[in-house]
Amino acid sequence: MDEKEKLIEAYRAMVLSRTLDKKIVMSQRQGRVGFYTPTMGQEATQIGVSMALKDEDLIFEYYRDVPLMLHRGVQPAAIIDQIMGNSSDSEKGRQMPSHYSAKEHNFMSVQSPVATNLPLAVGAAYSLKYRKKDGLVLTTFGDGSTSTPDFHAAMNLAADFDLPVVFLCENNKWAISFPVEKQTRAEIWKKAEGYGMRGVKVDGNDLLEMYKTAKEELERVRKDGKPVLIEAVSYRMGPHSTSDDPSKYRSDDVKEGSDKDPLVIAERKLKMLNYIDDGIIEGIKKDAKENIDRIFDEREKIPPPTPETMFQDIYEKSNWIIDEEKGEIL
Amino acid sequence: MSSKTMNLVQSINSTLDYMMGKDDSIVLLGEDIGIDGGVFRVTEGLQKKYGAERVMDMPLVELGIVGMAIGMSVSGLRAVPEIQFQDFIFTAFDQLVNQAAKIRYRSGAQYNVPMVLRTPYGGGIRGGLYHSQSGEAYFAHTAGLTVVSPSNPYDAKGLLIKCLRMNDPVIFLEPKRLYRSQKVDVPDEEYEIPIGKASLVHEGDNFTFITYGSMVPTVMNTVSKNNLDADVIDLRTLLPYDGETILNSVRKTGKVIIVHEAPRTLGMGSEISAFISERAIDYLLGPILRVTGPDIPFPYRLEDYYMPNEMRILKAVNKLQQYR
Ligand SMILES: Cc1ncc(C[n+]2csc(CCOP(=O)(O)OP(=O)(O)O)c2C)c(N)n1
Ligand SMILES: [Mg+2]
Repeated sequence: MDEKEKLIEAYRAMVLSRTLDKKIVMSQRQGRVGFYTPTMGQEATQIGVSMALKDEDLIFEYYRDVPLMLHRGVQPAAIIDQIMGNSSDSEKGRQMPSHYSAKEHNFMSVQSPVATNLPLAVGAAYSLKYRKKDGLVLTTFGDGSTSTPDFHAAMNLAADFDLPVVFLCENNKWAISFPVEKQTRAEIWKKAEGYGMRGVKVDGNDLLEMYKTAKEELERVRKDGKPVLIEAVSYRMGPHSTSDDPSKYRSDDVKEGSDKDPLVIAERKLKMLNYIDDGIIEGIKKDAKENIDRIFDEREKIPPPTPETMFQDIYEKSNWIIDEEKGEIL
Repeated sequence: MSSKTMNLVQSINSTLDYMMGKDDSIVLLGEDIGIDGGVFRVTEGLQKKYGAERVMDMPLVELGIVGMAIGMSVSGLRAVPEIQFQDFIFTAFDQLVNQAAKIRYRSGAQYNVPMVLRTPYGGGIRGGLYHSQSGEAYFAHTAGLTVVSPSNPYDAKGLLIKCLRMNDPVIFLEPKRLYRSQKVDVPDEEYEIPIGKASLVHEGDNFTFITYGSMVPTVMNTVSKNNLDADVIDLRTLLPYDGETILNSVRKTGKVIIVHEAPRTLGMGSEISAFISERAIDYLLGPILRVTGPDIPFPYRLEDYYMPNEMRILKAVNKLQQYR
């Protein structure tokens, strides 16, 4: 794929993600979905990095990474199945919406306690190094997550053992109601220096900038096997989750379609390069809408998992305690 | 006597307000508790009233929140940390187990920790694996901690006032499923509910139900719907639990059913059942039965199968009917 095709592909994934996002949020309001953490505003950050990834790379993502997943090839149907927790969901309906697992694309299973994925990413990078395998490990997290002990432990360890880990901080300026200016007095990317590793900051609203930085940084990690912290600054355009009411704590909203919307920025830049025009944009958006509406209606009809599935997979082999409790409950 | 009708959220909120007004050493700290009023709105309006110095919006670090709270509490303040969901407490577990619980003992009582840690726990809100856990046994296994869990707005007020006057660390577990499920009259005047004292919420001769937190309404509904002639004991305090009330009832009925949402293995039911066996085995007419959550992670879509319910409680009742 040449650069032009790559960028159009990336833009298409941004639109797909935005369309899916809006569909799920709307469906939640209609009572068709239980809960969701919108990803609106973080498309350029994630897809810019995804463009620089290789198939063999491992990803320890967090709950707001649908754009990254879609760009890497996870099907919208799989996302919707997880949101519904239906019997086609690869997680068997066990997790709350927004907590995906997609091993076929090297996505680790998502947990809720933030930043606990980071030390795992370091361990996975150690495995790669130990087995002399190609590839790196990408791990993602929010600005709020940089306050956790896990973040600091993971950065220190990755640097200490010279491991190929890309720490992508998706700074969307907010951790629920808490703004990043209060979260820390330091700039996030600068924290890397304290652990003896490289840190960079990039405009995460701008797909092209993001891609350029990610390409350079990931190439470096592949070459010298040392970690990097990338702070990508964007904005959480939606509420923290469908249970959240941001009007209680902020008024500096970035509206969809405004010139701070990463989708609008990407359109402007790709038009300037003559890669797309209004006709192409319209076509991509129409396709996405038709696809998502159709897939959503289809997946919604899938029944829930059968009750006995909740007693599976606690261990490789069940034990008598679980078997007995299953018998009592079912 | 004047009173107001309120739910659990309103009761905890107004009690915090009342106690903060009386005692300026009380400082609240937690994630999203200030301007946002807490994700369950339990601290709504308190930052506006008492300022950001007393209702602190905290960075995302449970370990730091609890560690700071302990430090504040050994140096003249009475910290009230909130952990947004009990599921997220575990990075702070070291602080609770190795600091809060042991400071009085290790210092020969030169120091003590008057801290009340509030946190919502339990299932029933479709929260899946990490917004539903009932971890009370982790805390109740730790000498030096006091563990309480109110099941209704009235008890919440009396317990919280009592806890905010204690000189030892308390884990105050709020059954989130009950936050808005019932409204009851709560007296305007202050009152305390003692630590270690259960409440006999229903009286009868044939069965003893021992429960607490989110399962109290479930047990009560089952008892009244099916006209069961039963004692229902709401423990209210899990550590130290009320052995005397338990034994008095067991000696009367001889048939015991313990109900909790937490997994069975080494849950509160294990301890209580061992306690009864030691002290009152001669009075038992049948086995002590437990109706609990299973020993599995808390599932999302199939949550209803996880929660103990009327059907499962009646199964235990029927089993005990065979014994006389
Ligand atoms: C350890 C832990 N504490 C609290 C929470 C509750 N919580 C969920 S998301 C969140 C804010 C996260 O903010 P950030 O890291 O900036 O990511 P964002 O949601 O903005 O993408 C909080 C406090 C949690 N999931 N994990
Ligand atoms: Mg954030």
